[in-house]
Amino acid sequence: MNLSQQFINGLVLGHAYALIAVGWTVLLGIARLVNFAHGQIYMLCAFVAWYVTSRLGLPYLISFPAAMLMGIAVGYVMQRVLLLLTLKQDLVSIMIATLGFGYVLQGTAALVFGSTGQIFETPLSRAEVYFENVWFTYQDIAIITATIVLFTVLRYTIKRTHVGRLTRMVAEDPHLAQLAGIDVRKVYLAVFAFEGAAVAVAAVLVAPRTPILTSMGFEEVIVTFVVVVLGGIGSILGSYVAGLALGLFTAFFGALVAPAYTTAAAFAVLIAVLVLRPGGFAARAGEH
Amino acid sequence: MSGHPSLEARELNVGYAGNNALTLSLLAVGEGELVGVVGANGAGKSTLVNSLLGWSRGSPRVSGTVWLGGSRISNLPTHERVRAGLLLVPEGKLVFGRMTVEENLTGMRTTPRNDDRRTYSIADVYDLFPRLAERRYHLGAQLSGGERQMLGIARALRFGPRVLLLDEPSIGLAPRLVSSVLRTVRSLVDAGLSVLLVEQNVRAAIEVVDRLILLERGRVVAEGAAAAMRDDPRIAEAYLGAQAG
Repeated sequence: MNLSQQFINGLVLGHAYALIAVGWTVLLGIARLVNFAHGQIYMLCAFVAWYVTSRLGLPYLISFPAAMLMGIAVGYVMQRVLLLLTLKQDLVSIMIATLGFGYVLQGTAALVFGSTGQIFETPLSRAEVYFENVWFTYQDIAIITATIVLFTVLRYTIKRTHVGRLTRMVAEDPHLAQLAGIDVRKVYLAVFAFEGAAVAVAAVLVAPRTPILTSMGFEEVIVTFVVVVLGGIGSILGSYVAGLALGLFTAFFGALVAPAYTTAAAFAVLIAVLVLRPGGFAARAGEH
Repeated sequence: MSGHPSLEARELNVGYAGNNALTLSLLAVGEGELVGVVGANGAGKSTLVNSLLGWSRGSPRVSGTVWLGGSRISNLPTHERVRAGLLLVPEGKLVFGRMTVEENLTGMRTTPRNDDRRTYSIADVYDLFPRLAERRYHLGAQLSGGERQMLGIARALRFGPRVLLLDEPSIGLAPRLVSSVLRTVRSLVDAGLSVLLVEQNVRAAIEVVDRLILLERGRVVAEGAAAAMRDDPRIAEAYLGAQAG
């Protein structure tokens, strides 16, 4: 067994998980909302990026703004439609509505892009590195770098900037935030748009690792769910640690036991953590 | 002086689930005036201040017109009324518990405006409430009731209020702190601020207000200068009775 290779695989996978989950972490932390269409937005953005590079022949870099525009547009439309439910914090209806949105996105994507799998190749995914007995691609390096940069900027923004203080006020008490002159609706719209943009970046960076299908998305939702719950609801640092831990766990469990049982094992760990440490990894007051 | 009252409300009606909670034909707070609103539990005092801002944790039906400095604000959402200068320090949860005192005081836009509103700087509010300066790095949740009340008022001052609405600032405070908080409010009014003070502690309120309004079951039943209202039998018997006896 090549443990070094498994460690690299886990490291890349963990950063990919954290990157996919970051938008939902912010959504859950600030708006107290879940979005079960998260995986389908990921899928849609991956197809937009694939279309831009493979069909239109545009540079890979162009696929970032293209996918982000799609992610922001979907997030914005979803929030406009769900605004009343959001303000009422009607969580059950929101869960069902976002699940419905996911299926609508999936159906629309299948109509537009077809139901056959596609290979989303990029200049970075073709550039391989062999070092001693380990192998990785430049795409993997890009995933790790982008994740670290995004999490660092986000954590700094939330903790240290004016915008961060506003969003923390809304997160803690949206009613009281109105008395601080904050337009809570705009903050919710911005958070949904951020979620769309963040999952788009994740799709453009992570989707090239595997073939893409319009039926994908469910696994991304499950992974995201595990990461945000393990990390502690709304904790930016917690999500990063949880994503990384889940990635390493998946890689080593898959190699040492069996890949088929990885998801079941991850959920067993999730249950154990929730029982022993109900707030997740970041179970400390005020942690972001 | 603009000639308008700082705050004016006409034909204000508020109802919850078909039940009328407040009926008010006219309310006015003049520039540099401290108006007290007193009454028993459930008289409609908090409903009054909340409806002036269009703010509520429930879903009331509100009608009527509210003007701030002569401009109609009742068509605006809550956050815009706040930006226009109508600031409320609510009853109960009034600070952000997971943020430090300093963050509570810097978490809002306090950019200079082209009007005569005085925006208090951080240094100004620390001068006014030195205790907050000592506790600046503590979380809101770690503060005592009195400190939270100070922080609530300080946060409102940072926004540059035209009119400050205070909802039961004395609740849960020791008597010494009550008079300290109310004395500070009085000093702000003497410096030109207009304040509408909702209080259940009539004895403490009547010492500092210029004018007093008595609410019962959502209606104004007595109104007048503080000195005159002190002798009003409805106030003396129901609220100052122990003192009279």
